[in-house]
Amino acid sequence: MFLSTAFRDGNQKAIQLNKLIKTFHDNHWIELAARLILGVTFVYASYKKILAPAIFAKIIYGYDLFPAVLINLIAIIVPFLELVAGLALIIGFYPRSAALIVNLMLLVFITALSINLIRGHEFNCGCFSKGTDTQETFVGPLIFRDFLILALGLHVFFYRNVRKLCILS
Amino acid sequence: MKTIKELSIFAGISIIASFAVNYFSPAGIALVGQWDIAKGVITANEKNEIDLNNLEIGDIALAKKLYDSKKFLFVDARSRDNYNEGHIKGAVSLPVGQFDKKIEAFMEQYPAEKAIVTYCAGRTCEDSHNLAQLLLAFGYTEINVFIDGFPGWESEGYPIE
Repeated sequence: MFLSTAFRDGNQKAIQLNKLIKTFHDNHWIELAARLILGVTFVYASYKKILAPAIFAKIIYGYDLFPAVLINLIAIIVPFLELVAGLALIIGFYPRSAALIVNLMLLVFITALSINLIRGHEFNCGCFSKGTDTQETFVGPLIFRDFLILALGLHVFFYRNVRKLCILS
Repeated sequence: MKTIKELSIFAGISIIASFAVNYFSPAGIALVGQWDIAKGVITANEKNEIDLNNLEIGDIALAKKLYDSKKFLFVDARSRDNYNEGHIKGAVSLPVGQFDKKIEAFMEQYPAEKAIVTYCAGRTCEDSHNLAQLLLAFGYTEINVFIDGFPGWESEGYPIE
């Protein structure tokens, strides 16, 4: 008797939680907010790299993960992939696929950062004197930040309801 | 299938736009850079970069000869912090990031005829090249770029302070 009540109560709670998750997941305002934040983040991230591809190329070199012949091509193309996907998310042009691209890029960034964190590879070429005097990077917070952004990207990707403010979804 | 089509559209737009902008932008880079430190200073080969290869000193012993002749002023292009942590003995600091602020005082002290050797943090660093370019623009004529920089100098056990 007692056991079955507890079981039923637990079940009830589980159902409520499920409902809550479903409301959260299907809420089109949350989807819109996630999509806009994601889009603006990526457009902003692409801007500096597009203006100074040579500096971005050197950062890629610093990761010591990519073959030398590909470094410049990555530095040329990736910022535009960020820009195009970011704009697509903002205006709602094929947002699901744009979110997929963004998520894949985030996974690559997270993997690259993690590999270098684990193997203790730190690249300091002393070549960023143009901006601030000292350039320090904290990899841990960067990975954490990328996971947060990835959560937004996954939300936009797995969202199944009608999307607000989309020109072509 | 729908996703593949959409992804192709995004990839296509990005690739075309990126190559077009890179082609026309003055900050554009070559399709393949120079990323082998055995071959010299690494660089993405920016297109508006002036070729300073003929000013480079790729041999540490030669840099030491110039140093010993005492005719050359060694100029440190790195940040002030790096300079304070250690630099070639007798070198003066002129961080390329603060060039505009510091160049006047520098010119008052050293005439344009002064023979100069710029250096920074070695072959992964282009600051010494950028500084050389700026000094050339300000009328300095005899400029050399010591590409192995402070790390190379230090590893040879040459005088530092």
